[in-house]
Amino acid sequence: MKILKSWLNDWIDIENISNNEISEALESLGFEIENKKELNPNYENIIVGKVLEVYKHPNADKVRITKTDVGNNIYEIVCGAWNFDVGAVVPVALPNSKIKDNFKIDKRDIRGIQSNGMICSAAELDLWDDHDGILLLDDNLLPGTNFSTIYSSNDFIWEVGVTPNRGDCMSYLGIARELSAYFNKKLKNKKSNLKPTIGNILDADSGKIKECNSYGSVEIENFNVTNSSFEMRYRLTQVGTRIINNVVDITNYILYDIGQPLHAFDRDKLFGTISVRKANNNEKITTLDSQVRKLDSNDLVITDNDKPIALAGVMGGLETEVSETTTNLLIESAYFDKVSIMKTSRKLNLISDASIRFERGIDYKIQRYGLERFLMELKDNQSINYSEINVDDKGNLKNKKVILKYSEIKKLLGIDLKESFIKKILKFLMIDAEVNKESVKFTPPSWRYDLDRPVDLIEEFAKHYGFNNFESTLPQGVNKNNKGSYWDLKSYLSSVLTSNNFQEVQTLSFVNKDKNLLFNPEKKYVEVFNAIDQSSKFMRSNLMSSLIDVYKLNDEQNNLSNSYFEINTVFDTSKNIIYEDVPNQNIVLGFLTSSTLSSTDTRLKDQELDLYYVKNILTQLLSSYDLEPITKPGFHQNYSFSIIKNDEIIGHFGQLATETQMTLEFNNEIYLGEIYINKLNLNNLKEINYVPLSQYPFVKFDLSFSVPINLSAHLLVDEINDLLKENENSIEIFDDFQQENSRNLGIRIITRSYDKTYDDNETREILMNISQSLESKFNITLNSSKND
Amino acid sequence: MPEVNTDKIFAAFLLRLEEVAQIEDFDDIEKEFLGKNSLLSEERKSLSTLNEVSRKKYGKLLQDLSNNITSKLDEERTKFKSKFFIQREMSDNKDISIDWYKSLGSKNHVLTNVMNEVVDIFAAIGYTVATGPEAETSWHNFDALNTPDWHPARYESDTLYLDNKLENLLRTQTSTVQVRHMQNNKPPVYIVAPGRVYRSDQLDATHSPVFHQIEGLAVDENLTFSDLKGTLEYFVKEFFGKDLKTKFIPHFFPFTEPSAEVLVSWKDGEWLEILGCGMVDPNVFKHVGYDTDSQGFAFGVGVERLAMIRYGIDHIKNFYENDLRFLRQF
Repeated sequence: MKILKSWLNDWIDIENISNNEISEALESLGFEIENKKELNPNYENIIVGKVLEVYKHPNADKVRITKTDVGNNIYEIVCGAWNFDVGAVVPVALPNSKIKDNFKIDKRDIRGIQSNGMICSAAELDLWDDHDGILLLDDNLLPGTNFSTIYSSNDFIWEVGVTPNRGDCMSYLGIARELSAYFNKKLKNKKSNLKPTIGNILDADSGKIKECNSYGSVEIENFNVTNSSFEMRYRLTQVGTRIINNVVDITNYILYDIGQPLHAFDRDKLFGTISVRKANNNEKITTLDSQVRKLDSNDLVITDNDKPIALAGVMGGLETEVSETTTNLLIESAYFDKVSIMKTSRKLNLISDASIRFERGIDYKIQRYGLERFLMELKDNQSINYSEINVDDKGNLKNKKVILKYSEIKKLLGIDLKESFIKKILKFLMIDAEVNKESVKFTPPSWRYDLDRPVDLIEEFAKHYGFNNFESTLPQGVNKNNKGSYWDLKSYLSSVLTSNNFQEVQTLSFVNKDKNLLFNPEKKYVEVFNAIDQSSKFMRSNLMSSLIDVYKLNDEQNNLSNSYFEINTVFDTSKNIIYEDVPNQNIVLGFLTSSTLSSTDTRLKDQELDLYYVKNILTQLLSSYDLEPITKPGFHQNYSFSIIKNDEIIGHFGQLATETQMTLEFNNEIYLGEIYINKLNLNNLKEINYVPLSQYPFVKFDLSFSVPINLSAHLLVDEINDLLKENENSIEIFDDFQQENSRNLGIRIITRSYDKTYDDNETREILMNISQSLESKFNITLNSSKND
Repeated sequence: MPEVNTDKIFAAFLLRLEEVAQIEDFDDIEKEFLGKNSLLSEERKSLSTLNEVSRKKYGKLLQDLSNNITSKLDEERTKFKSKFFIQREMSDNKDISIDWYKSLGSKNHVLTNVMNEVVDIFAAIGYTVATGPEAETSWHNFDALNTPDWHPARYESDTLYLDNKLENLLRTQTSTVQVRHMQNNKPPVYIVAPGRVYRSDQLDATHSPVFHQIEGLAVDENLTFSDLKGTLEYFVKEFFGKDLKTKFIPHFFPFTEPSAEVLVSWKDGEWLEILGCGMVDPNVFKHVGYDTDSQGFAFGVGVERLAMIRYGIDHIKNFYENDLRFLRQF
């Protein structure tokens, strides 16, 4: 909402309060300042002129020449507008002046005639957009008068946010009311005596529905549709409203001034009883913007003998619109239900100044005053006649009494408020209340919908006390530096991966179906019902597709590094075992790396990685685990594994299917996988099994076995460990040579006794024992052994 | 018997030293002048043939020569060695201005860093991390948080729903976690809930359909508005620095009352809005089954916003494109 200082001053005397102080007041009252600026246009050398003569330009048809009295001179000025004639009083930009956008005006030759300045339109003076042409000024103004003296050029404007609970502050009156409590200043009164001069021709009522609590109307005759006053056009333009004509301008002006939307009908296009009802399904109305609107039973319509003539609270109908030839009016001032107007305006995507106010709730007692204000704006217009104001109020709306105990204030805010402060705030906010020693019994005013509980009034006191005047204290919980197991686990996994040159990424959760299908064809996907983008309307069922995208993007961008991870949620429609009533969703660690880590360094080769590298990362992440070969969509036939820890599948990893790799045109193999965070326990990951150090010398064997292709080498290592379980051991595979169907496996054993030095015989015995056990158990052959 | 001229021998020794080309040459010289077959050794052998006086005198002469040669040899050998290593190291000429080794990746995402930092700040005063589902019920996201079914936030233009009955949705705020947490835990409660939230916005410079929030909730006996203020002032100072000024201005959220926004005075003196907060609305306590006279406060802060303010990041899209040129900077 835009607030013009000069306009606000109509309600509360703030002329002498500095703009900074007002800004501070607005902000501390909860009006967030989105914008503010000083208005001081430069009207130097722009004066009032009177057109004395108008004649044809000898060389041009589209412009005319005027002789214009500019006070101390009479100038020849060429003008392209045709909306004035001899005698018109107009603004003239003299040579050496500036108009809108700092456009400089000087003497200028126009087709052989020298023009000594320019006769201006409102738009050219940056006042408002108008289509009429030249701005016509009051006939009584003297030629030569400085334009800045007839136009309140110095002003200040704030654009503030009004929170949705404060519909009552969507007007100058509402803002002034808040400021009155802040500045201890009473509101100025806008009242006048109205004397109706004609009787009503039409009947008007609020209908039978509760959605229209009251319907007020007044009839006006002998009205001349023309421009509204200079000041009104200035003010409306500043607050961002289009200037139409005096009827529409005044209704808009009243809306901004007091928050009551008004609507004007051409009375001569109305015939019977004006009333309000719900629309019938599929009923149609053509609105002011010439659109045919199809209605349903949630919409409210104003009717004339049951025929819809306006979409209540949202937009008028085209048929009964006020036009330039209108002479008789019916002005409507009604209260419509918030939710009903909101639904209609959203459904039709028709949001107007009126609908915004209705949907936040307008003062339910202000309908008559709205019409009075309309008539007051016409008070200088001697020729019109107007009827009694007729308001049909069902009286359904009534705010209930609420009791607020002082102890509740103290409990929530931690401060004792003085009774005098409480009384003062209640008075300025015009809240009807009985204040006694222990409590306040109050009735919210008819414009407040946010004060129906004790806590609501506490908030009001806190606000006027000033949030920044409260003390600050720091309460603390008992468990310090305990972030909880989930956060600790996530941090631990991240630290392992980042220290291995994996880069963490954050990708969007929406994907197209193919990205889910690639890895999870067996699942049903969670679909966004009102997706932003139809091409990515599914919630992802895996993180790997997203990581592939990141890999691809950076590969194409020629960025270095090819290892990524992400910890985020994946979704599917299966039953959620933790949270009822929502789709299944799990937090997953996804990781991806490629077989070559790119490098620009010609001194070193690109780092070649393989599946074993990733396996080592898993070991760092998980400490101990088992792998079990599986067949998994999206993965390499032979390189796809379940990761098992404590007898539970906790994730999977492997190599991206060759076909997918080729389709994506990746030169490198891609290794990737996922670990289900909720299946991990940080204590298990950090488990340490200390092995004491032997004080005796080691013996070392390098054994080479002929083994089957599909033998899991790990089994041999386990067996040797078992045979030497009394010792301190280091057993490692140091070679795996495969050729066609033959395979040699090299195992290095370093073992130490805890209680003696092995002699040659004992050493030989150990070797024999191991080789025989392995040969018989796994049906393999020892090729060679070396012992140092 | 003729005595050898020791000066001449020493002079010959010095001449030989001048010819040294490699460290091993010193050993040869030592052998030549002090070794078994050297002149000096020969002369020493012949000492026994002399009378006592001559033997003492000549013996001393030979000993002096031997000492002089030894010490000169040691001196020259040390000199040569140090010169040799200096020269060898002088030939190592790596240009240290080149960064051959680059840290490839190895970083957390900037949003994770910011979330970690905020969590650390609150963990230090006794807050624990709580979590909840991202695909939520409308009840947890709206009704329980005192947002009635006609409220504009519930329109499909703002919220992403998962079914046509609008019963499930993608949570629009991490405040859902406070509801879930209170349903399952009795006071006192001190939690922070970092996580993803969703809105119906196209990805552009200032909007993203996915973004992150950190929700905080404290429910305990006697918590007041002053406690809320003190807590958030503490947070702002820890996160942005001790010198930063904060101010609280009234605002409106359906689930808190009174509600406020916290602004900080940024570098150019501009006040920037960084978080929303308030005293938990009694209706929220009612919905989660707490006593309605429970007392506490809640706050929510946008993670992207914190990062954008602190680092001057211009484009929210950067967070989700994952271009390493961006990610590596943090």
